[in-house]
Amino acid sequence: MENKDMKDLFSAYSEEELFSHVDHSDLESEKITAPRYSYWRSVFRVFFRNKVNIVILTILAILIAFTYIYPEVSEYDRFANLMNDAAKHLSPMAAIKKFGFSIHWILGTGAAGQPTFDAVWYGSRISLSLALICAAINLTVGILVGAVWGFSKKIDMVMTEVYNIIGNVPYILLISVLVLLFAPSFWTMVFALTVTGWLAIAYFIRTQVIIIRDREYNLASRCLGTPITRIATKNILPFMTSVIVTLAAVEIPSYISYEVFLAYIGMGLSEMSLGRLIYEAESAMVTPGWGFEFWSPVVVASIITIALYVTGQNLGDASDPRTHM
Amino acid sequence: MAKYILRRFLHGLISVFIVVGIVMILIYSMLNRDLIFAGDSTYTNLGNNQKTVYKYRKWQEYGYIDFKSYAEYLQMLVNEEELSDEERDAVVNIGKKPESDSEEVAAYIAQFTEYFEKQGFKVERLNAVMATPRKYASGGQQQLFAYKDRPLWKRLTSYITGIITIDNIHAVQEDIGERKLTFTLHDPVYGGKKFSPAIIGNGTVHKYLLYFNSTFPFLHQNLISINLGKSYSVNAGIDVFTTMTTPQGSYVPREITYPTGLKEVSADDLHTAVYVLDSREANLVNEDRFVDDYTSVQTVKGGFSKMGYSFVIGIIAVLLSYGIGIPLGIAMARHKDKIIDKIGTIYIVFIIAVPSLAYIFLFKAIGGRLGLPTTFDMESTSKLMYVLPIISLALPSIGDLMKWLRRYMIDQMNSDYVKFARSGGLSEREIFTGHILKNAAIPLIHGIPASVLGALVGAIITERVYVIPGAGNLLTIAINRYDNGVIVGVTMFYAMLSVVSIILGDVLMAFVDPRISFSSKSR
Repeated sequence: MENKDMKDLFSAYSEEELFSHVDHSDLESEKITAPRYSYWRSVFRVFFRNKVNIVILTILAILIAFTYIYPEVSEYDRFANLMNDAAKHLSPMAAIKKFGFSIHWILGTGAAGQPTFDAVWYGSRISLSLALICAAINLTVGILVGAVWGFSKKIDMVMTEVYNIIGNVPYILLISVLVLLFAPSFWTMVFALTVTGWLAIAYFIRTQVIIIRDREYNLASRCLGTPITRIATKNILPFMTSVIVTLAAVEIPSYISYEVFLAYIGMGLSEMSLGRLIYEAESAMVTPGWGFEFWSPVVVASIITIALYVTGQNLGDASDPRTHM
Repeated sequence: MAKYILRRFLHGLISVFIVVGIVMILIYSMLNRDLIFAGDSTYTNLGNNQKTVYKYRKWQEYGYIDFKSYAEYLQMLVNEEELSDEERDAVVNIGKKPESDSEEVAAYIAQFTEYFEKQGFKVERLNAVMATPRKYASGGQQQLFAYKDRPLWKRLTSYITGIITIDNIHAVQEDIGERKLTFTLHDPVYGGKKFSPAIIGNGTVHKYLLYFNSTFPFLHQNLISINLGKSYSVNAGIDVFTTMTTPQGSYVPREITYPTGLKEVSADDLHTAVYVLDSREANLVNEDRFVDDYTSVQTVKGGFSKMGYSFVIGIIAVLLSYGIGIPLGIAMARHKDKIIDKIGTIYIVFIIAVPSLAYIFLFKAIGGRLGLPTTFDMESTSKLMYVLPIISLALPSIGDLMKWLRRYMIDQMNSDYVKFARSGGLSEREIFTGHILKNAAIPLIHGIPASVLGALVGAIITERVYVIPGAGNLLTIAINRYDNGVIVGVTMFYAMLSVVSIILGDVLMAFVDPRISFSSKSR
């Protein structure tokens, strides 16, 4: 890597320029030179240096393309084959034999005769959107509140009590009450998952802020009269970037898992999300020949969560400046 | 230290009560209160005014409102001797409509209305619903009653003060003879000859307040009972704590001798006898068996309680996960970036990222292929049915332990004391197990009480997937059936356990790490 950089450096100059005599200059010798450092470029350089990341990113790109583009371009009617008993619970081979080869049928059909392949991508669009929106809201609120929480000792006392209390209210209870109050729609679920979900993130950030807040360099900064907002944005935020990215890597898949869990215990969305698909196909798991309609959403949910998690973790590692050497 | 723990505990207790208050607001004030009747067949079968009154009575029973009917008000007057029985009988029947009241009745109704409206009650009169001019429609009798919403603080205080009841010799209202506690060295249940100390009460709710028997923990008591809230639909009329702790399964009949000397093969557990007024007069069977009115007994059952099943499975899983997770975590840290570390990392990623539902189903499918039982059967004596649930619970916590132990150990590896130990010539094994592990395990030790107590709570998905009759599902079932009593009770129980386990974790941590101290000086 460094060798190549050196070569690039030299190729910009001609032979004469490289070997011509240079006079000593007092002014020039006072200059401190270092290779130009751009944080984000280094992050991506470290990230793409690992070939595994490229593979996983490709998988993730394909999954996202299927999740968001495939439902736009294909027609999917869940109840199109409802009256056709011969079209229900077909294995891939039987479905292809019956309907002719097309991408819709490569995973067989489900309980209503719907193509499992289409159902999975429509479901993953709902699940993934839910996860992304919830993670965005919770991370934004959590990081902002957590930063303030970590900085102010007075707020810390109050918020710790709030955290101890709210943390003990069963999450399932809160969600089910909200679902009963409103309808089990997409936005109700977003509200239910975010209304207290930010608290745990804020608590995590608070702990991180407290760890860095009293480090010597921040103490020095404060002694020199740096305003607190500048300390927060210039001293602490860069340190927190890798923590935040790692956190996002855990958070996004966790909402997908949580949605699956809620659907399984019967408190999930009314839309056919991945969780709802798994819940409704549970009986198909034990029936020989029906396995595809159960395992397809399970496998897709697992691949999406693993890909998101690994990407996030490695991006988190790469965004730690200590790995940029 | 003791003072500090006590203060922490009281502090925790207050937050538990606030949690219960929040939950009460959520379910009593925010939810539609008609929902609790969703699964009540009595309610569905009643008609017209009777249905309305039933509704109000149930609301009163489950703590929503205070309710008094006109007849109850008149009875109250009789008890206060302001009214004689004959006078009451003359005015207790109100007219079908306000216009058809006799003058006397109207006067009492006015008095009733004034009395309750002064206290902020709302008085409601339902006119008769007639099928024909002479015949009432089903449940159509006229009704008069007063009701008032019970405020949150009142509900909360009556709940909190009712959690612990201590049995005493004045608990039975009726005349019962000499009220006393007797201490005996020879428990009459065992024929009065075998040595077995017991305390027997007369005038108490339970007959046996303290006794020994052959089941764990051998010494049992009925003196203090815990009431977390009465169930409406999950286990009608029974307290949540009792629901969680009562044994399940089939009866275990054996020959027992009743107090009258009658020998019979029965599953009755005489130690659980509870006072029921005039039960011997009402039932000849009781007359044959018992010498006093302590006749209501529970039965001996073969299985564990809900909490018992959850705890057995949970605690084995916890032991297993610490037993496997810690050595693997050490191995991963010792061979960092080697093959074992990489395999371990893949496993950790799999466990964290994949939805828990997915891998539990995966284990179930694999276990089923291998011929292990995939559903739980209380009647079966096979221990194999415990295998899959335990594995399903242990594997994720093994992953979690590996992840954190590896992290903490690697963080410690560059410390000065490790370099010093290495330069002193200690072997890598000695450094890792003797020095690094001791320091790295401290944060993990904090979590031990939580995982042990957490085993009591049970696991929702695992218990559902393997059909285990455990406690984990109680909250979700209660929510699905709108059983407010159970919801509040279970929440209270969870919150209490979590407070206690955090305190225990801190204590344990201070115990193993002398640097951590809770005395006021260092804080």
